[in-house]
Amino acid sequence: MNKARRQIPITIVLLCLGIMLSLQFQAQTRIASDLTYQRSDTLIAMVRGLSEKRQKLALEIIDLSNQLRSQMESSRDEKKLLEGIHLEMEKLRIVNGTTALKGPGIMIIIEEHMPIIYTDLLNIINELWNAGAEAISINEHRITSHSTISVAEDAYSKDGYSIFMTVNHEKLTYPIIIKTIGEPNNLEKGLTLPGGIMDNLALFNAYPEIEKVDKLEIPALEKPTTYYFMTEYKPSEENKESTPPTTNPPGITNPLKTAIPR
Amino acid sequence: MRKYVLPLTVVCIISGFFLAFQLKVQTKSTNYDAVSQKNANLINVIQALEKEIENQENQIETMRNQLNEIQNQNNKGKLQDLQQEIIQAKINAGLTPVIGKGIIITLDDNKEGLLNAPNDDPNKYIIHYEHLLNLVNELKIGGAEAISINGQRLVTTSEIRCVGNLILINTTRIAPPFEVCAIGSPKLMVESISLGQLDLLKTAHYPVALAEKENLTIPAYKGELQFKYAIPQ
Repeated sequence: MNKARRQIPITIVLLCLGIMLSLQFQAQTRIASDLTYQRSDTLIAMVRGLSEKRQKLALEIIDLSNQLRSQMESSRDEKKLLEGIHLEMEKLRIVNGTTALKGPGIMIIIEEHMPIIYTDLLNIINELWNAGAEAISINEHRITSHSTISVAEDAYSKDGYSIFMTVNHEKLTYPIIIKTIGEPNNLEKGLTLPGGIMDNLALFNAYPEIEKVDKLEIPALEKPTTYYFMTEYKPSEENKESTPPTTNPPGITNPLKTAIPR
Repeated sequence: MRKYVLPLTVVCIISGFFLAFQLKVQTKSTNYDAVSQKNANLINVIQALEKEIENQENQIETMRNQLNEIQNQNNKGKLQDLQQEIIQAKINAGLTPVIGKGIIITLDDNKEGLLNAPNDDPNKYIIHYEHLLNLVNELKIGGAEAISINGQRLVTTSEIRCVGNLILINTTRIAPPFEVCAIGSPKLMVESISLGQLDLLKTAHYPVALAEKENLTIPAYKGELQFKYAIPQ
């Protein structure tokens, strides 16, 4: 009897406890991904990134409109069509790494004595893309969407074995030079932000040298990428409704229009 | 009667502690009230930008599809080779959706772990951008031919990063759970990530799932390819 009477209040209290615990957990997970819980500087950084992206997207839409127009007028004006294809191809060659490039940018120099490992390289490259890099190479190896950065063991080394870093499965020798084409100041800022990658490396006493350069040369990819598993996915082939567009290309009407107050 | 007193006291103390802690968590978020007007404005701007970017990306997707179709159909003499070349280059660049054999890796924050240790540093329980960055690199080492994370196709210029504790890919916000899709040899890719990031996450008790797929589709990159500084030599 006594035991049963005790159980009721305890059950109630435990129930309340459980509810509170789950509520608290909810509060914590919400903090992790909701905009409402971000700090102002985080939000400002996001606005900046998104504004830049919007502007570039608008330019891309203009390019695509021109491209579509020249393709559709191809029966009348073959020269214009060739011009359009040439422009499109140039972009694709840059992103695919199939052409050597020149332009302004920065050079990062890493010496052998610096305690820098392959994940640091990975982070530096990632940070450079984020800062608006247009093309990157590490020691003459062009970086593309398929590039890998890793470590390997040298079985033929004199001391038995040694570890070295690799890019695209090729051994990296020192000094490691990362060349990046893009707006030099933005690229440098992206790396040297307080709390950024350079601050991080400084904790380990690694101070790679950053040099702004007016004219850099970046080589093309050594060998073309081959695919064994992936093919183009054409949804139109499944539902056999591939009607070619006959109307005018969309989006020519003032794509630079802004909807955001500045 | 006396028999209640001890257990009730203990339970009350514990619940009081939780209540206080929860209040602390909640006031921490309402503490932002001082700057909250500014933040509210910023959030409005961000949401408007995201909406507009989504529209732009959809428009770009439609236009690229139209262009692809025309180029696939144009089989006129000397231009034919050129059109073929451009289509191959687009597939290579990630501008077309692709299909093939591959794997899907699903990662999530370790909510259970955080639940069991509410006072611990939450950073030890959430997926960070570096986890994804390393995982992607390992997938490539395993020969991945195309990769997407939560529908964001990874292309040459894609970045994976965090602002505050948000993860951004191609400047787009993505939230957990993260679904990483990769086309390539399932065997080689699984081997590569098993020696690396996947096992590290498993050991740290993150919920991780791995599935093999015969016909995995990965969406096209919807973003821009704009180059201002790089000039072909």
